[in-house]
Amino acid sequence: MTEPSALAFMRRLREGLDAGLDLPDALTRGAGALPRDARDTLDRVLRRLEGEQQDDEWGFDEDFTDLVEPFFGFLFDRWWRVKVEGVHRVPAHGRVLLASNHAGILPWDATMISVALLRQHPLPRHPRFLVLNWAFDLPWISAFMRRVGGVVASPYNALRLLEQDHLVAVFPEGVKGTGKPFGERYRLQRFGRGGFVEIALRAGAPIVPVAVVGSEEIYPKLADVQPVARLLGAPFFPVTPTFPWLGPLGVVPLPSKWRIEFLEPIETASFGPEAAADRALVLELAERVRDAIQQALYANLVRRGSAFI
Amino acid sequence: MAGRRVLITGVGSYLGTLLAARLERDPEFEAVVGLDTRVPRRALERTQLIHADIRDPGIAPLIAAAEVDTVVHNSIVRQPTTGMSARAMHDINVIGSLQLLGACEQAPSIGAIVIRGSAGIYGAEPHAPQFFGEEMTRLFPLRTRFQRDVAEIENYFETYSVRHPQVTCTMMRYQPAIGRSLRTQITRYLSQPACPTYLGFDPRIQLVHEEDALDALVAAVRRPVRGAVNVAARGTIGLARMIRMARRPPLPLAGPLFGPVTGVARRLGLDAYSDDFRRLLRYGRGVDIARLETEVGHRPRYSTAEAVEDWVRG
Repeated sequence: MTEPSALAFMRRLREGLDAGLDLPDALTRGAGALPRDARDTLDRVLRRLEGEQQDDEWGFDEDFTDLVEPFFGFLFDRWWRVKVEGVHRVPAHGRVLLASNHAGILPWDATMISVALLRQHPLPRHPRFLVLNWAFDLPWISAFMRRVGGVVASPYNALRLLEQDHLVAVFPEGVKGTGKPFGERYRLQRFGRGGFVEIALRAGAPIVPVAVVGSEEIYPKLADVQPVARLLGAPFFPVTPTFPWLGPLGVVPLPSKWRIEFLEPIETASFGPEAAADRALVLELAERVRDAIQQALYANLVRRGSAFI
Repeated sequence: MAGRRVLITGVGSYLGTLLAARLERDPEFEAVVGLDTRVPRRALERTQLIHADIRDPGIAPLIAAAEVDTVVHNSIVRQPTTGMSARAMHDINVIGSLQLLGACEQAPSIGAIVIRGSAGIYGAEPHAPQFFGEEMTRLFPLRTRFQRDVAEIENYFETYSVRHPQVTCTMMRYQPAIGRSLRTQITRYLSQPACPTYLGFDPRIQLVHEEDALDALVAAVRRPVRGAVNVAARGTIGLARMIRMARRPPLPLAGPLFGPVTGVARRLGLDAYSDDFRRLLRYGRGVDIARLETEVGHRPRYSTAEAVEDWVRG
């Protein structure tokens, strides 16, 4: 917002308030003086204040997601300088399952995948995320997660989302991925029991493996204080160079350099939904996804060079 | 089927009375019998009323004598009304269901039992799937007394339908109902001067509009299906949005303060919250209604948001 337009906005707002309008009306009046995109944003804020928000049955709120996008956009462009490759490999419509490696304690990698798809995909779409369950025990975080497209990591949710032809992102490493120490960075953990493959098979959704490099350096985890974790009901309590020493500041992630690569989709529809019961096939496909991601991680680590500069 | 005969327990409840009124207007139903200790709130034309307590073993000969083909079990209490102890509620729900089933054993004419049960059996859980399907009752432990009671009731009916394969038992799992004529925990909650919420939580709530609640019951009487059926409005709504629609101020309370503050409010004569309701306010609950729509054949007219809107307008 430029200086004069901000001034014009304030003046119109004052006039409105002086004329006896209440705040939302005055804000609407003031908005007439704003450039178009700022006015759009303000309109949305106002609609939210009046309780007219649109959310779907999952609690996903597109307006809210767009409102917070600039913050994540800043992290994407400036903080982590994310380079994206192969985003065109993500199908532009229909059901898709993204499977990504996971690190960094807080799901920043999920948000960066989301920004990458929204900014660089020819037909941008909002992905839905299966989020670690314990996030839904927490105040604010639970409400925030739902609004930006997070859902409880339950196979029933994943299947329902895919059947509704959404783009769904999963982190098959789960809590094992986020909780691993710094020394084991970029070494993929076991992919559970391949539940995500079962779901992709049942829904006939292609699996797009995603390799994220950079998320491992944002919170270098030096130690894990299990007694504190148990007290808080969290799966782990990390000690990093900044956390908990700097208090809330310790939550600020380090500005590592990131690369996100979307890999060649693995087709599953031809196996048919009954194949979900085929243990051997499920484990084999899971291993293929894991392998693809691991290879891409090593390749991208080399291409990235230094972690921070 | 010519001349169906239906018995409704809890006919004195709002929904029970409406169901009787609806069925007695329909010539397909030769006889409608109502059982309750309460008198229906409006005059019924040809419903025969039996004044009896469902907890009383004496109902068995009365039910056998009515020679009905369908029983609608509509006397499951969801929340204690003022002056009703938790104990009495448990007795009506569990002992009442047992007595009713005992009576059904002695009435060979019965071919179907439709139960107005509760989706409360699923509980309200932070890690729950967004929409519970009917097969998902065992995902989480039963935490509250009401949940355990509902599970026990469901168990009785399941056992009964295994022992009597000729009887179709339909367990209708209702989400909390809302409507202008109803006074439920949710309408009382939204009528308070301020609505206590859990600070930092905005759970997904799913309700059912009173009209859909009745129509679903009627549809199940017409076409009973085996097993459980979820009954709810389409979709969910955030609690914060619901409170805003009701034009009430939310009163966010930090988790540990919620119990004490609402406890004080209760002593001041405001509403008491059951454990189930408190968990609902914290974690919410959604159910999948595909079975209701496709097998029972009732498509809810109201979404949850529309149901709340309709109640606010009323």
